[in-house]
Amino acid sequence: MRSSQLLTLAALLSFALASIAADHPLLGRSAPDFALRAGNGINVRLSEHRGDVVLLTFWSSRCNQCRAQLAVLDPLHATYKSAGLVTLAVSIDDNPVRAREYLQSVRSQFPMLLDPAKQVGRSYDVNVLPMVLLIDRAGAVRYVHRDYKSGAEAEYVRELKTLLDE
Amino acid sequence: MSMIRYFSVIRVALLCVALFVAPHGQAGEPAATPAVAASTPEPATPPEDTRALDEQIQSLKKDVVDLNKDLFVLEEELLFPANTQLAIFLSMDVGEFFALDTVTLKVDNKEVANYLYTPKEAEALLKGGVHRLYLGNIKLGQHELVALFTGKGPNGRDYSRGANLKFEKAVGAKYLELKVSDRQRRAQPEFEIKDWE
Repeated sequence: MRSSQLLTLAALLSFALASIAADHPLLGRSAPDFALRAGNGINVRLSEHRGDVVLLTFWSSRCNQCRAQLAVLDPLHATYKSAGLVTLAVSIDDNPVRAREYLQSVRSQFPMLLDPAKQVGRSYDVNVLPMVLLIDRAGAVRYVHRDYKSGAEAEYVRELKTLLDE
Repeated sequence: MSMIRYFSVIRVALLCVALFVAPHGQAGEPAATPAVAASTPEPATPPEDTRALDEQIQSLKKDVVDLNKDLFVLEEELLFPANTQLAIFLSMDVGEFFALDTVTLKVDNKEVANYLYTPKEAEALLKGGVHRLYLGNIKLGQHELVALFTGKGPNGRDYSRGANLKFEKAVGAKYLELKVSDRQRRAQPEFEIKDWE
């Protein structure tokens, strides 16, 4: 009885998460432009990557799932970079020092941007971490994933391939 | 704000018309051809007609684009009329002693712009580009502009400098230029604000 209740709860939870992702206000709309400083000191502006497929992920050093997700995104970025994939990871840590400390512990191949004021996070309606948005070559948000579960990268790859082929 | 939304709606509508016209016109051709072909055995749509239709579509698209351009100019004129308009530009010369990172603008002690320059933007400025950093409205009379520049100075060290200008806003539009140049003799960057009058 207890296990069936748990299963129902899990199904409801996954349905709720799926519906949240489907209802993201930016889906199908133009991705808001931003300029942020990366951990390596270089400034990055989203609109400069118009014409590329952009994988934008929001993370925090306190979020364990974010760490797992970033580890998965690194090989994905390495594989599809030459096909026109740009990966941008935005930290919404309150304390940029903590984010920088975390950045020193990981060696990612894509820019890790810092958004301590959370302005970009607000404009992208980030309320769950991690959150991944896939932006097409025309600059429109096409897919949104909230939360991360092991194996989700297969879905990322499928969607990325669709966008890269366009 | 509502004015901006109003213009945006009109411009989006115009672009939609432009986008709609092209596929609609082209889609009309194959639909018409089989109908005519059914009634007469010979091909009834001569290529001249297609060309004329295509020319009409192109001219219509051009009209829409021109109208959109006029609307854009009108929008700027209405939102930023000359008697209150203040535009601030930024240019860089040489850049041997300074690599630009951010510029913060304060008009009458109120922050109006804070811009982060990417390496590509900084490179474009060094190639002679001029960036419109701010466009807004101010009242007639005396005002003060303060610009704070941050970046990498000589020997790659963090560098931060400010420049200020007291200026008089008259009836016409006011254009100010922030100019970053190299002072070769002192091996230091120089920051000045020029009034385009």
